[in-house]
Amino acid sequence: MSATIITARDLRNERWRLRIRGARTFAGRFVRRSDGVLGLAILAVFTVLALAPALFVGPLESVTTASGGPLEPPSLTYPLGTDELGRDMLNLTVHGARISMTIGLLATAITIFVGAFVGVVAGFTGGATDNVLMRTTDFFLVLPTLVLAIALAPVVLEVIGTDAEIFGIRATLIVIVIVIGLTSWATTARIIRSQVLSVKERMFVDRARVIGSGSGRIMRRHIFPNVVNLIVAQAVITFALAVFTETTLAFIGLGDPFQPSWGQILNAAQEAGAPGLGAWWYIVPPAVCVVLVVLSFTLVGNALDDILNPKSAGRR
Amino acid sequence: MPLTLRARGLRVAASLGLAAALLAPAAAPTAAADPVVLRVGTVQDNDSLNPYATLLVVGYEAFQLSYNLITDFGNDLEPVPGFAESWERAPDRVTFKIREGMKWSDGEPATAEDACFSWQLGLDAIAANDGTAGYLGAGFLDPGLLDAGVTRVECPDATTMIAYTTDQSDRIYQSYMPIIPKHIWGDETWETIGEAAFDAPLVGTGPYTAAEWQTGEFIRFERNPNYWGTQGFADQVVIQFFGNADTMVQALKAGEIDYARGVNADQLKALESDPGIQTVVGAANGWTQLAFNSYGSGTGKTIPDGGPSTQALVDPAFRDALGYAIDKPLLVERILGGYGDVGTTIIPPVLSQWHVEPTSPRTFDIELAKQKLDAAGYVLDASGARLDKEGKPISLDLVYPNTDDVYAKSAQFVVEWYGELGIKTTATAYDQGTLGELVLPPEAGEGYTADYDIELWGWSGSPDPNALLQIFRCDAIGSSSDSQWCDPDYDQMYDDETAAATADARKAILAEMQNLVYDQAVYDILFYDSDLHAYRTDVFAGWKKMPSANGTPLFTYGTLNYTALTDATAQASPEPSPSAGASAGASATPAPSGDGGSGTGGGGDNTLLIVGLVAAAAVVVVGLVLFSRRRSAGTGEEE
Amino acid sequence: MSVRYLGRKVLGAIVTIFFIIVLNFVLFRMMPGSPERVLLRNPYLTQEKIEAVREQWGLNDPLLPISISLDPPAISVNPANQLFGYVQSTLTGDLGYSFKFRGQPVTEVIGSRFWPTIILIGAAEAIAIVVGLALGSYAGWRRGGKVDRAGSGVSLILYSMPYFVIGMPLIIIFAAGLGWFPTSGMFTIGATYASPIDQLLDFLHHLFLPLATVALGLIGGYSIIMRSSIIETRSEEYVTTARAKGLTDNRVLRAHAFPNALLPMVTIIAINLGYVVGGAITAEIVFNWPGLGTLTVDALAARDYPVLQGIFLLLAVSVVIANLAADIVYGYLDPRVRT
Repeated sequence: MSATIITARDLRNERWRLRIRGARTFAGRFVRRSDGVLGLAILAVFTVLALAPALFVGPLESVTTASGGPLEPPSLTYPLGTDELGRDMLNLTVHGARISMTIGLLATAITIFVGAFVGVVAGFTGGATDNVLMRTTDFFLVLPTLVLAIALAPVVLEVIGTDAEIFGIRATLIVIVIVIGLTSWATTARIIRSQVLSVKERMFVDRARVIGSGSGRIMRRHIFPNVVNLIVAQAVITFALAVFTETTLAFIGLGDPFQPSWGQILNAAQEAGAPGLGAWWYIVPPAVCVVLVVLSFTLVGNALDDILNPKSAGRR
Repeated sequence: MPLTLRARGLRVAASLGLAAALLAPAAAPTAAADPVVLRVGTVQDNDSLNPYATLLVVGYEAFQLSYNLITDFGNDLEPVPGFAESWERAPDRVTFKIREGMKWSDGEPATAEDACFSWQLGLDAIAANDGTAGYLGAGFLDPGLLDAGVTRVECPDATTMIAYTTDQSDRIYQSYMPIIPKHIWGDETWETIGEAAFDAPLVGTGPYTAAEWQTGEFIRFERNPNYWGTQGFADQVVIQFFGNADTMVQALKAGEIDYARGVNADQLKALESDPGIQTVVGAANGWTQLAFNSYGSGTGKTIPDGGPSTQALVDPAFRDALGYAIDKPLLVERILGGYGDVGTTIIPPVLSQWHVEPTSPRTFDIELAKQKLDAAGYVLDASGARLDKEGKPISLDLVYPNTDDVYAKSAQFVVEWYGELGIKTTATAYDQGTLGELVLPPEAGEGYTADYDIELWGWSGSPDPNALLQIFRCDAIGSSSDSQWCDPDYDQMYDDETAAATADARKAILAEMQNLVYDQAVYDILFYDSDLHAYRTDVFAGWKKMPSANGTPLFTYGTLNYTALTDATAQASPEPSPSAGASAGASATPAPSGDGGSGTGGGGDNTLLIVGLVAAAAVVVVGLVLFSRRRSAGTGEEE
Repeated sequence: MSVRYLGRKVLGAIVTIFFIIVLNFVLFRMMPGSPERVLLRNPYLTQEKIEAVREQWGLNDPLLPISISLDPPAISVNPANQLFGYVQSTLTGDLGYSFKFRGQPVTEVIGSRFWPTIILIGAAEAIAIVVGLALGSYAGWRRGGKVDRAGSGVSLILYSMPYFVIGMPLIIIFAAGLGWFPTSGMFTIGATYASPIDQLLDFLHHLFLPLATVALGLIGGYSIIMRSSIIETRSEEYVTTARAKGLTDNRVLRAHAFPNALLPMVTIIAINLGYVVGGAITAEIVFNWPGLGTLTVDALAARDYPVLQGIFLLLAVSVVIANLAADIVYGYLDPRVRT
């Protein structure tokens, strides 16, 4: 019979409860998708390998400590055989995980940061700013990615200098990171922008405006939370693309032999003549790893995308 | 209009059907009278058919096939008849007797006038530039004339060319001036010939003239019907370009090419066990080196924003100590697969007439290296970093080209070994153009700062050692010097040996020069890497090495071996039969269509095949399994 | 489709192309390492020689129309500068001369490598579009069915594989191993042909594996995208209406769902062109296919600016034109775009 006073604290608690319930629903939905779970599992394995490769195979084998013969096929001592300098392929492949995934992570960070920023600002502000930003984005979309990457690499190297190092990644590879970021942000911006546009159309934004919230507040409290889901899904898909692109660029020869990523190992395999020599152990492990990582990220990304951004008739 | 599923299906089936039709060996283009083609593979793409413009070995091979030099190279690089059929040496001149009745491949008469015209181009270039060479086209050919001391040429009649020289050396026979037809190029001058369009088909007096050049694909040469010498067995020669050695070796094994230039050590070893293929290891006339930036040695000059990062590099004792930290035999074994020689002095051992071993050679001994560094005043600090005499930790910048993985691998070893000495080394790869600029000092022009510490690269020379020796001269700083080292004594010795009267006198001076450079550790020459080639023996026979002791059959000096080849399937006598070429071709046509996969035997390939098929099957199975439990995902998603 | 729409699109394309030309110039001039240094390790190279080459190529002119110097502070206008020179000659079709292949015009160098790539990409796209769209739409329509499960799984895996990862095993199995196809190249080396038909057959024989590689990679992507497009379309109102009316499933798919799902594919295929040519570089490398891909890598190694610029220009302009064509087709097909 007594009137119930709803305090601010109650509201906050209610918000948290809703969030937790939302998270549980999400987790429940996610678990039911076998593809997403599979992807996540593969991803977890590689993440663990990438975080602490030395735990599993010891430090990255150096050329002076290489003890095997050149291009030895798999044996008990060398489960994945050796490369042409006698280094253990298992060691190289596991350490390659760290390099490839770190590059993927950094490149994704740049792509998402720039892309999401541009997308949100363009979508929300509209008008001339939107126009200019979209023209720029379209321009970047048109540029041939790989040729641009090849052309940018030496330029960026000049700019950052050869001594640069981030997260244990040397200059040559930082160049790859920047190049991937520069060439991938446009797609993300496009996608984010269209999501922002559709969110903008929804009723409650107008309502908030009527109440009098400022633009920044609207962006923060209404637009952003609804776009975050898409950003997260995009980030995961971008990661897959980043690893894919890095592998291609390293294969062409833009990698760093001192920090062999999987693409760089494949490049070395090609140079050493592994396909013609039948040294399949030099090619298959890094290739399989690349495919698995890209695949798993794509699976997880698709699952996230489907769950967080349900598409249904009428809701446009 | 959208296609019906069935229509689409038909289209797919049609293309698959076409594909199936292609699986059957293509209607074999071979017929009874097909030309005999010598197919040569290389991973170097040609840049120009213009002899004065090309910078590449393959370009040289191309112009030597089409054009003659005044004298050709024999089996041991001795001069043999080329455009000239004989010659006479006098104290101040060489008189060449040009063959009578010679014709260009287009039928025009080839006379001494052409020879004089061709040589005059080089002499004009030298005269117009105050007696310095390097201005004719790309500048590789006229230095030969300058080095040989040629001052003037005269052609009193159609069969005589007289070349006046300042000394009596043999270098004139090693000059590389091609004799080109005056009736085609007569309007060009030394300034214009370098840019002239030498479009195929070329007109020359060589055994095979370039008939077609598809950039990125191949150069095709056709038999010169007017060739004055023995006609070769092959009717055509094709030099085919490959993007990498792997595809080239596979083509060799499959019989798609007959000769492969530039395979790597592991490929060579694998090819050795193939019965139809012969491998050959050619001693290299060149090396791979660590060039220390010793800018300021002898002069004390420094570069404001560049130059070596520490004065230690200018100190011979420091450089010498570093030399004890490199295990060269290990490098030869691991990187070159054993195909090469340990590096020592600046005249490669293949020039056995002039090469000497150092009188006090360095060995691989890390501890000794550390001791020498300490003794020279470069001590370790508390954290294990080695300090220079200014108290700064030494951190070296090593630069190398991205063209060959030999450099990348060498760099990895060097970085690790120097690391054991407490010296941090950072290695960076650059493309050739950038690297070439990077190592230039201010003497080369404004803006060049020689901002590097160690340059890991290579050089390759000519039959005469002077080509490589002049890199170390003081006046080479700003052009070809990559060590920035300067010692007036060295320059004096260079002039002395060039003018030396006898071979023994020359050798004595050369020995001194080699030891001087070695002891000063201007370079640390890692190794002399060999050339690894391989060729099939079931199609062409009569392959000879050139030089006979340790050379390769092709891509060497001169092109005699092209015409020396014979039919491998003929049961007849081993001498090359000149006129049998065309008619004997019928039974020996090499199967051009490469299917049938001949000669790919070897356990590795079968394993590979099985692994490949299993992998493909695995992909399909995984794909199916992946989505076999997609029940809820299938129906529950539509909201 | 209104004239206004068309006009807007064409104008946009022209502006974009202009910016591409400017970017092209700036980008490649920023690359370190100057072209005259491509002259390799010539022991006799001298500074005068280098200067002469720079002068000849116009490399001593100022780079941009305006130079700003800080000490002393000044802004100078350079009527003769490399940027204007470049824009002017590009617009007249003169792309300069290759640095590596001395004396050959860039248009010739690129021209000879153009057709191999076009044929490879074109045929692969054609096959991939047909097979990918068919597979994707059938899979998406019968979601959860057998075709969907198998097809999507394989598509995803193919989509995750870079072209060279697809290509290398194909070579190993079918060329080096079974010997059904040649290991590399476009024609049999040194062959002479009795007739053009023989030459064509030899060409197709060499084309098969690279074509299969690129097509497989593309099929993966297209079928996935088409699948989601169909799924989205399937739930649209007009489709449910058609089904409720009693039309057979196939007919609904063919006549209603498919054409509408096709629309976004048009844009996607157009945009994809730029990426495909770039990605096919690795396929060309693995098969030694003498196309634009291998030319790009070689030109990069040799710092052959004019050729690199030419390729960049060609690719970017192609994508712009492809997008323009897609926009026009879209405008024609989609009744909603009639403004």
